[in-house]
Amino acid sequence: MRYALQRLGQFILVFLVVTFLVMVITRIGSKDPARDLAGGLVAQEQVDEVRELYRLDEPFVVQYGNWIKNLVTLDFGYSYAQNQSVNDMMKQRLLPSFFIGIWAIFIGLLLAVPTAIYSAYRRDGAFDKTMSTTSFAFLSMPPIVIAVLLSFFIGVKLRWFPVDSNYVALWDNPWQHFRNFILPSFTLGLGLSAVWTRLLRADLINTLQSDFIMLARAKGMSPRRILWVHALRASALSLITSIAIQMGGLIGGAVVAEQFFAMPGIGDRLVFAIQQNDLLVVQAITALLAIVVVAVNLLVDLFYAVIDPRIRHARAIK
Amino acid sequence: MSAITKKRDWPTVLAAAWLIGLTILAFTADYLPFIRGYAESSPEGIGFSKGPFTSFLLGSDQLGRDVFARCIYGAQISLRIALFSIIIGTVVGGTLGMVAGFFGKASDRAISAFTDVMLAFPPIVIAILVTGRFDALRKNSEAFSWLSRTWSITFVLSILAIAPLARIVRAQTLSISQREFVLAARSLGARNGRVLVREILPNLVPAMVSVIFTGVAVLLIAEGGLAFLGYSIELPTPTWGRLIAENRNFIREAWWGTIMPCVMLFATVLSFNVLGDRIARRFDIREAAL
Repeated sequence: MRYALQRLGQFILVFLVVTFLVMVITRIGSKDPARDLAGGLVAQEQVDEVRELYRLDEPFVVQYGNWIKNLVTLDFGYSYAQNQSVNDMMKQRLLPSFFIGIWAIFIGLLLAVPTAIYSAYRRDGAFDKTMSTTSFAFLSMPPIVIAVLLSFFIGVKLRWFPVDSNYVALWDNPWQHFRNFILPSFTLGLGLSAVWTRLLRADLINTLQSDFIMLARAKGMSPRRILWVHALRASALSLITSIAIQMGGLIGGAVVAEQFFAMPGIGDRLVFAIQQNDLLVVQAITALLAIVVVAVNLLVDLFYAVIDPRIRHARAIK
Repeated sequence: MSAITKKRDWPTVLAAAWLIGLTILAFTADYLPFIRGYAESSPEGIGFSKGPFTSFLLGSDQLGRDVFARCIYGAQISLRIALFSIIIGTVVGGTLGMVAGFFGKASDRAISAFTDVMLAFPPIVIAILVTGRFDALRKNSEAFSWLSRTWSITFVLSILAIAPLARIVRAQTLSISQREFVLAARSLGARNGRVLVREILPNLVPAMVSVIFTGVAVLLIAEGGLAFLGYSIELPTPTWGRLIAENRNFIREAWWGTIMPCVMLFATVLSFNVLGDRIARRFDIREAAL
């Protein structure tokens, strides 16, 4: 419990630093932040009103404190450029991005786990060598390149799936949801699966040499059960850590994939908001991304401690 | 006898050949008759959207510009930006890493906190945010009128390169400073500065070279992503990312305009990764330190 609180404190600190830096960055080169917030070409009275509302004439730290105070009550402010409250905008845009991320992780795991298990089982065999080369190639493939290739061969040539995606909720129409999400999710999932295949294979090869695997084999347990249950469980820890480490890259890739496939998600909105100088939207979205990254890392750390008592106690003794 | 003869490592040879060839082409592009001029517009104005291996090696785009020539000019810019950024990143990140790893204590805590924050955040988001603000800075203030997109992208990419480099150099410095030869140098009365420069720095070189290679690959990817999102250098200079983004709308009529720069980008990133990987393996650098 003490460990959990310690980690939580650390992550709150990281979150505060990140959001503060983002606020500083959004003010770089701005002549009058109030005018940017008010949406550019508007009457002076309106600009002054916005200045008053967001306390833009006060020192920087006060502005930040004000923003944090509103954040706690989940009030991200109002986007004058879009004539919409930032909360409503987030509500609309959150689900598409959420689904892209979830499906990408799902596809990544679906491809990586069986490949890694078989590669580790028949180490240095033909399959292992082929997959090792393939995954290395995929590691070197930027998201835009994967997106172009997928959209060209599968979207344009084969016409299996639409190149321009629309957001369809899973619960409204599962088939259309699947059709629209498959290309953007594969774009990100392929890269992830390459990372995880290599990681899990290396970890499994280590695990397969441990004594408990030998014991299981000596008891006459089937190789399938040993691989999928015993070895995979032991190696799952490093896989879960990697999911947390990949979160940053995943979000970055999602920004590109959303733009590419015209998915109306949060990354797509962020790019537009930056172009429009829509500062509150920029701050809100980056804060949200920071929360996601930080929260996933925190969850993984805590999960680790729950699973492995050694970590919990090592910290407590310190 | 047979134990001594080595099998040639073809991936490394190919990767090195590709990079050397590409660099030579890119930096002599202005003097090569089959590249120069072709990037601008079609000769005789006939070659609109011609396929590859016709009169154009890799085809021509919808304005009759030779895709191969544009790709080579794109390589010039993309490689230059990536190399400049990695140099800045290595100098700053390497210094920070060495300081953190060698002196430890407060400096280590501060620098590690900085790298943690930097690594916690999606790099491409930082990149578009900062580049977007630099545009505003240039527009609104006289003092920064020199801050062209080329500069701001180089600068942003260097910032992105600092944190990973600092982290790996810190880990390497930590392990090297425990070794006997450092102790030996100390017992001979060497001061901190001398130990850092004469004992530790030379031993960091293999790790740094390996990270520089993979780092260039990451920066090329980031540059491509930035250009795709509309943050590329000033028109009409091509970069790989811009070529991919621009010609994407014509993919149905002229796929080569988009696919060819993709292939170039992929081959280059792959080559850098192969070389980085080989160097890391040769010097037994643990990936876990990343």
